[in-house]
Parts: sequence; structure tokens; C-alpha cells
Amino acid sequence: MSLSELGRVLWRSRRVTEPLGSVDASTSGSRDLVGSLQLRHVDAGSCNGCEIEIASVFGPVYDAERFGTRLVASPRHADGVLVTGPVTRNMAVPLIKTVEATPQPRVVIAVGDCAHDCGVFRGGYGVVGSVSDLVPVDVSIPGCPPHPTAIIEALRGITRR
Amino acid sequence: MTAGVLVVVGALLGLGAATAGASLPRGLRVPAAAALIWAACGCEAAAAVHVLATGRPIVLRSTELLPLTGVTLVLNTLGGVFVLLVVMVAVPAVLYGIGYARHGLDTRTAACVFPLFITALFLVPTAGSVATFMVLWELMALTSLLLVLVDHGRSEASRSAATWYAVLTHVGAAAILIGFLILAAHSGGQTFAAIAVHARHLASGVRALVFMLALVGFGSKAGAVPFHVWLPKAHPEAPSPVSALMSGAMVALGVYGIVLVGDDLLGGGPVWWWLVVLVLGGASALFGSLHAASSTDLKRLLAYSTTDNIGLVLLAVGAAGLFDATRHPLLAALSLVSALVLLFNHAAFKGALFLSAGSVQAATGSRDLDRLGGLLRRMPQTGALFLVASAAICALPPLNGFIGEWLLFQSLLHGAAIGSTAGDIAIPLAVAALALTAGLSVVAFVKAVGIGFLGRPRSASADEATEVPGTMRVAVGLLVAVCVVLGVAPTLIFPAVERAVRTALPGLRTPVLAHGVDLQVVGLRGMLAPAALAGSLAIAVVGVMVLRRALSRQPTPRVVEAWGCGRQLQTARMQYTATSFAEPVQRVFDDVLRPVQDLDVTHVAESRYVIESVTFANTVDDAIERGLYAPVIRVVRHWGQLSRRLQPGSVHRYLAYGLGALVIVLVAVAVMG
Repeated sequence: MSLSELGRVLWRSRRVTEPLGSVDASTSGSRDLVGSLQLRHVDAGSCNGCEIEIASVFGPVYDAERFGTRLVASPRHADGVLVTGPVTRNMAVPLIKTVEATPQPRVVIAVGDCAHDCGVFRGGYGVVGSVSDLVPVDVSIPGCPPHPTAIIEALRGITRR
Repeated sequence: MTAGVLVVVGALLGLGAATAGASLPRGLRVPAAAALIWAACGCEAAAAVHVLATGRPIVLRSTELLPLTGVTLVLNTLGGVFVLLVVMVAVPAVLYGIGYARHGLDTRTAACVFPLFITALFLVPTAGSVATFMVLWELMALTSLLLVLVDHGRSEASRSAATWYAVLTHVGAAAILIGFLILAAHSGGQTFAAIAVHARHLASGVRALVFMLALVGFGSKAGAVPFHVWLPKAHPEAPSPVSALMSGAMVALGVYGIVLVGDDLLGGGPVWWWLVVLVLGGASALFGSLHAASSTDLKRLLAYSTTDNIGLVLLAVGAAGLFDATRHPLLAALSLVSALVLLFNHAAFKGALFLSAGSVQAATGSRDLDRLGGLLRRMPQTGALFLVASAAICALPPLNGFIGEWLLFQSLLHGAAIGSTAGDIAIPLAVAALALTAGLSVVAFVKAVGIGFLGRPRSASADEATEVPGTMRVAVGLLVAVCVVLGVAPTLIFPAVERAVRTALPGLRTPVLAHGVDLQVVGLRGMLAPAALAGSLAIAVVGVMVLRRALSRQPTPRVVEAWGCGRQLQTARMQYTATSFAEPVQRVFDDVLRPVQDLDVTHVAESRYVIESVTFANTVDDAIERGLYAPVIRVVRHWGQLSRRLQPGSVHRYLAYGLGALVIVLVAVAVMG
């Protein structure tokens, strides 16, 4: 999100929070996590562009918590894992362990192009592979970085709210 | 008369057990001594039950046994309760000792002294005169001292512990002896009956002096602050059955002494005596529970917890005296009942805990919680028994600890408005101390169970631990069964306890507790239905289990590694330790505990930004020992050094001393003659 876009958003809004359209119910097949989705975020080697967008998603402007999603501090409290970045060597085992530690039913959401297919880091000497090479991915959000509305749309596809 | 024979036969059987232990060959001596001491316990228990059932004391006299004074044995209802308490701990402890024998209890000395210790324990409450009492009391102190020293060849710590114990217990014995001598001198007789008649008419200063001496003497045996320092040293070093007896029974006899002198002999006293007892009790309870919460040695934790529990008992004894002095006989009786019930409870669960700590030590070779872990899986029965006993000591219903603390709370809460200024200040503070103590002891035992028995083993020896022999488990099981029975049906022992209270507080006319299945405090609003409580708890637990099974959607749970922040390398040493668990408590109560922490960081020679190694040491030693005893020991040592100048080893100088003394005597005779 560029600075001018943010300025426009702030200028326009009476309410700070962006109004969003109705949910597209066809995104996810599973009905297990409808209504509430607690997420543990794992940075598997991201450039932190996606992190800034995620911070914005859970910030006051886009406020994803109104759709039943929330960031939590431990995979033991979570229903899903939000993964960003290509998976680097140091983060491969922690990523697998984090997903393993999340109780089922769970979703693994790959945020950004790097999580999807390593993006510009493909073939880097420290990169093990994309997220789906290591753990089964349920939802993939394209973009470098993805727009907050794209992330929210994907999350709402799971919570159906 | 038949009951009197039982007391004598019990004592003789005890001596027979000691003889058997000393004379029989190694394989035979422990079981033979055990059989004889069980028979002795049976006789004494039968005599005590007889006294408690009829209410008539047993009186025995012999002029031949002890020269000059003779022996007087009087078993009244108060003593009878304590005899039962001793027997209750002794029977399982002896059974445990059979399995534990190869850990130092099968030597000739130990096999002889252990039965002698038990004999002394159950005879002390039957002593009926000063001389008899002091002989038995010293026998008890010396035999327990020898038992602390069983391991002396192997560890320096046990020698040091024995020295501390010997000094404190003998300072205590001296105080008791002086107190009794003052009483006997003023009464014209040395039997307790004669003293009880005359002591009421003594000058108040003399009475106060005697009571304070008794408080110091018996307090040092009971492990009350500030005389508790021997407990955390001697209990860990003694073999576990001995620790169980020392902590469960011997310490209780310290309280017996205070009740004997304060209520039975002196017939109660002014309010300030009992405020002193109350303060001593409150301080012991808080100090003990704080140290228990921060200890990492399992048996040291249990020893401090003994100080904590004895503090609660002294709180109850002090409150009883306070209510008696302010003419509230019902409240006084209720407090004293709660004191005796607390002692019974403490004997049951602390006995079980010390015995299971011994099992842990026998199985793993360690008492250090930071080196244990995962024992519940490796020693399931010992672990389960330890868990139940811990729940009992944390005063969780439906176990016995809850009943004792409930009674104490009832007496204190009803006593908050007795209309005496001292009481109005002391009683609410006592309630607060009791509440804080209860919380801290929960911390201590959550730590003991959580760190010691749950999680993964922190050392190879804990990993290889196997369950201990059956006799040891059965012994712990007996005491845990007592915890459960006294928790569900406490009214079983109340008639006996109430009879005992009537001996100590003769002014009581009405019954204190209504006897039935439920507990009801007569004349006050207080009621508890332990059986119904236990039943509803059982129904709730079963209900939750059934519901969980019925509603569970996932039939087979997935087993994954414990969550450790996704670390690649995860070892058992990364678990919570006893030290880290206690750290918040230690930090909050920094001013009382005064821990010594030492952080030593070594940098790599090339750069001070790169650390080579970090050493952290955290020790919580006893602030009272450091602040109160260390200076005294320094002064005594200094005087000892000075006195050595008089004895340099020169024969000439010694001859000169002799000549000088002779001259002085001659001059004195010449001047005075």
C-alpha cells in the first residue's frame, strides 16, 4: 500500500476501518473453522514486506479481527499457521514443528509469492524450497506483497464471515 | 489394671526389638525387630484406645527402676492421642524399613537404635513425672541423633547435620529441664500430678519463666522458628523411615510438651503467653512455607514444610490459649481440637511424603528436583501415592488436610470478635498468615510433583528409575489410606480427640462437635459434610470423564513432541526446573529469603562481545541461620580460642595452677576461719 493510497483511505473514511464487500463462500472447502480462526504467524525467511501487510491487516484500518481471525502467540492456541517467505534452511525444522504442534483441524496459509514458489529468491543458496515443499498448504495468497484486502478475502473465505 | 500391663508389655517388647536388632545376624535382625516393634505398637495402641474409650488414665509406679526418683507412667487421654499418632506413623515406617534396610538400616547399630527410638517415642506421652519424662525425652533425642548419623561414613553433610541437631536439641532439653526443676522445686514433688496441683498458685513471674523455658525447649524439638534450623539439615540426611518418624511423630511431641506444660501443668496463662505462641506459630508457618516453595532438594522441601505445618499447629495452640484466657471455652476447645487434628493429618501425609521421597532417592540416587523428572511414568504407584499425599498437604478436599485447616479457620474466624484488643489484632493477622501459608504450600507441592514426577527425566539415573519393592509401596499406601479415610470420615477420630481436649482444658462442659457423618461445630455456625463432599466430587469426576468420552469427536489423540518454540535441538534440560519454578516466589519474597545469586560471564580472549561461558549460581540458605546462629557460633568459637590460652599443654603451668588454687583456698580458709 503506497503512502498516497493510505492518505486517500484516511481522507475518505468517516470510519477508519475500510468497508469490505460480502464474502466469497467458494474459496475453501472445509467448514471446520467457520466463524473463528486463530492464527500463528511463521516468518520462514521473508523480506518482511508481507509482515508489513499482515500488520496492516490486523491494524485499525483493515481490522481483520471483525471477521473472526486473530493472531495468537503459540501454535497450541491456533487453528492455522500463516507462513510468509521462502523457507530458509534455519526455518525449515521450526516450520515443520510449528505446523505439527497446531491441533487439527488446521489450515496452512501461504502468504505472498515467495511462500507460494520462492518468488525472487528461487534457487538461493539458503533456500530449501517453497512452503508446499515442506508442509501441505491449504490456501495460497498471491502478490508481492499481497494487498491487505487480498489477505482479508482469503481469511474470510475460511471463516465465512 | 490389664491396660497397665499392656503399657509395660509394649515397652518390654520395644526393648526386646532393640535387643533382637543388636544380636541377630544381618538377614534376620530387621524382620525380627520389625515383628517385635509391631507387637509393641499393638500393645501401646490398645492401651491408648482403652484410655480414650473409658476416659480413665492408666497410672503405673515403680521405685526400683530409676534410683532416687522411681518411674511414674501416667497415660491420660491427651497422651493417648499422641501414642496413637506415634503408632500410626511407626507401623508403616517399620514396614517401609524392611524394604529400605539395605540403605543403611541393617547395620547392627541402626537395627538396635531404630526400635529403641520408636519405643521412646510412644513412651514419652506416657511419662508421669519429671525424671521419667526427661529420661525418655533424652532417649528419644539420642536415638534419633544416632539414626541421623547412620550415613556418617559417607557424607560430611550428615555429620554437620547431626552436630546442629545435637546442639539445638540439647539446648532445648536444658531449657525443659530448668523449667521442670523450677516447677518441681516449688511443688514439693516431681510427679506431674503434684506439679499440676501446686503450679496454679505460683507467682506469675515464675509461671511465665517456666512457660517460656518450655516454649524454647519444646519449640526447638517441634521445629518452630527460630529453632527450626536443624530440621532442613537433619531430615534430608536421616534414612527416610527415620525422617518420617522424626517429622511425623517426634516433632508432634514438641507440641505435646507445650500443651502439657501450658495447659495441663500450669493450667493456662495470661493472654501474652499465648500471643507469643501465636506469633511463633505464624512466623514458623510463613517462613517454613516460603522456604519450602523455594527449596530444590525434595527432602529439604519436606523438612521446611514440617516447620510450616507445625507453625499452623502452634497457631491453633496459641489461639486455644488465647480463647481460654479470655473465657471462651468453646472456641478454645475447637482450636485445640483443630491443633490435634492438624497433627494427626500432618503425621499421615508427611509420613507418606517422606517415605515416598525415600523411594525416589532409593530408585534414582538423588533428592535434587533439578535432576529428577518423568518419575510418574517410571514409578507409577509411588508417584500416584506422592500425588495424593501432596494434594492432602495442600488441603484439597476430600482429603484430611482440608478438614484440619477448615477447623482452624472456623475457630479463628469465629474468634475474630472475642472482644479483647490483643485478640482483635492477632486473630485477623493469623487468618491472613494461614491463607498465605496455604497458598505457598500449594506452590511448594505443585513444584515437587510437577518437576519431580512429570515432564521428562533430567538425568540418566532418573531415566533408569524403576519401581521400589512392594513393602515400601504398601507402607506409603497405608499412610495415604489414612489421609483419605480421615478426609472422608473425620468424625472417626473426633470422640478421641475431644476426650484429649477435655484433659487439657478441664473447664469445658459442652461437646464441641456434633458426632455424626457430618461435621458440625456446636454453638457456632459452621458445618461441613466431608462424605457428601467426597461423594459429589467423585460423581463430578466420573461425570466429566463419561461426558468427555461421549462428546469426543477424535477417538485417537495425536501424540506430538512438546512445544518448545520450534527449536531444532530440544533436550530435557530445557524444561522448567525447580529453581526456575520457584524464581517468581523468590523474587517477591526477596527480603525474607535473601537469596545469594552469582552470575559469572567469561568472554572470549579476542573480543569482549563474544561470550565463552556463563555460570549462574543461586543459593537460598536460611537467613535465620545466617543472621542469628552464625554470630553466636563466631562468639563461642572466639571464647573457645581464648580459653585455649589457659591450656597451652605446659605441665609447669598446670602445676602452677594447682599451687595457685591451693594458696587461694588456704588464704580463704584462714580469713574466714
